[in-house]
Amino acid sequence: MSAPSSLEALIEALRCLPGVGPKSAQRMAYYLLQRDRQGAARLGQALTHSLQVLRNCARCNNYTEDEVCERCQSPRRDATQLCVVESPADLNMMEQTHVYQGLYFCLMGRIAPLDGVGPRELKLDRLLDRACDGVVKEVILATNFTNEGEATAHYLGELLRARGLSVSRIARGLPVGSELEHTDAGTIAQALVERRPL
Amino acid sequence: MAALKNRVLHQTGHVLHTLPYRETSLIIEAFTREHGRVALMAKGARRPHSSLRGVIMEFLPLEFSWSGQGELKTLTHCEWLGGQALLRGRALMFAYYMNELLLRLLPREDAHPALFDHYAATLAALSIQADAADEVLLRRFEHALLRELGYGLHIEHCADSDESIQPVRHYHYEIERGLIHADLRQGAEDGRLYISGRTLIALQADDYSEAETRQQSKQLMRMLLNHYLNGQPLQARRVFKELQEL
Repeated sequence: MSAPSSLEALIEALRCLPGVGPKSAQRMAYYLLQRDRQGAARLGQALTHSLQVLRNCARCNNYTEDEVCERCQSPRRDATQLCVVESPADLNMMEQTHVYQGLYFCLMGRIAPLDGVGPRELKLDRLLDRACDGVVKEVILATNFTNEGEATAHYLGELLRARGLSVSRIARGLPVGSELEHTDAGTIAQALVERRPL
Repeated sequence: MAALKNRVLHQTGHVLHTLPYRETSLIIEAFTREHGRVALMAKGARRPHSSLRGVIMEFLPLEFSWSGQGELKTLTHCEWLGGQALLRGRALMFAYYMNELLLRLLPREDAHPALFDHYAATLAALSIQADAADEVLLRRFEHALLRELGYGLHIEHCADSDESIQPVRHYHYEIERGLIHADLRQGAEDGRLYISGRTLIALQADDYSEAETRQQSKQLMRMLLNHYLNGQPLQARRVFKELQEL
């Protein structure tokens, strides 16, 4: 006996989530229908609603309900500094530090040559337009310290410098409060390569 | 006993590419010296505090241990071998290009120790050259790759006459056939690649000191690789080209 088509459609729809295969999708579907129909209704509404109202901020590319997000409009932020991050999660982490008062640009990805993600897929021209608005003086590159993040930072650095902007990269090294003895060799090696004069 | 028999320990290798798998795992395409290209599943490698984070990185010398019989093995241990700085800039793009070639052309579990050594030495050279990365490194790698995979270049003799290559003459290269005398006085035909005898003799010795050799060998390699890749374009080359055009 096969499942009703609407149940099948629900299971199939849940599979679009990362890391969810047919088994997990079926489990989720039965859970929502049997145990938490209210939660399921809320989930459905939230999905429909957010798809309708959320879009990318015209300035920072992060998700917002307005044309330009609140942070980009805030007079308290320093508009001469622009920090480039890979994802909204990275942006939130930067905000939690409370040491940065400038603005952001969220790439929503990174250059990944083997996955076919290049400047075109990333829409790098949007970042270049944003950084060259005449107000931004310094661009801080805060992409990840993976090979892909490094490649992204390198090319962004070259492009932005060529447009007369001052470009910096967040520092890499030992975690705060850590001891050499308990740090992985790769981190120490790179910290040694990138040591700075005192 | 069966589990022990399928255990492989302490294999020197490099990560070619990784794919996220399920919630917290990772599938690693590794190139090892003794076992060639292997697919390894790293369970839990994407958890926030996994000891594999910061270790499983492309282009760095690593040591892998795994177990399992099927095509996808289970990674049991991975260690950082050190001695090489992270790649930067142009060198990074060159290294991605090599990885893509290996991923596309190297069959799984077919050991190529000589090619592995060549690859590892090229990465070490790239880590020093960084932004001044020399394209000649790629030509030598392409040459070594084609040689190792058994796609000989056949550039020692003329295919139609068995005559040895004359430095002053010009030749066509026909895929899977080899070199044919070209008569330049008839004018160049469309789409055919002309190579000078001088270039061919330099190529045999992997000597790229002349500008003409560098240019013609690049065209020859591109034509051959394109053929063996069944005309499917290389992503790394496209991304690199687009970045340079910005």
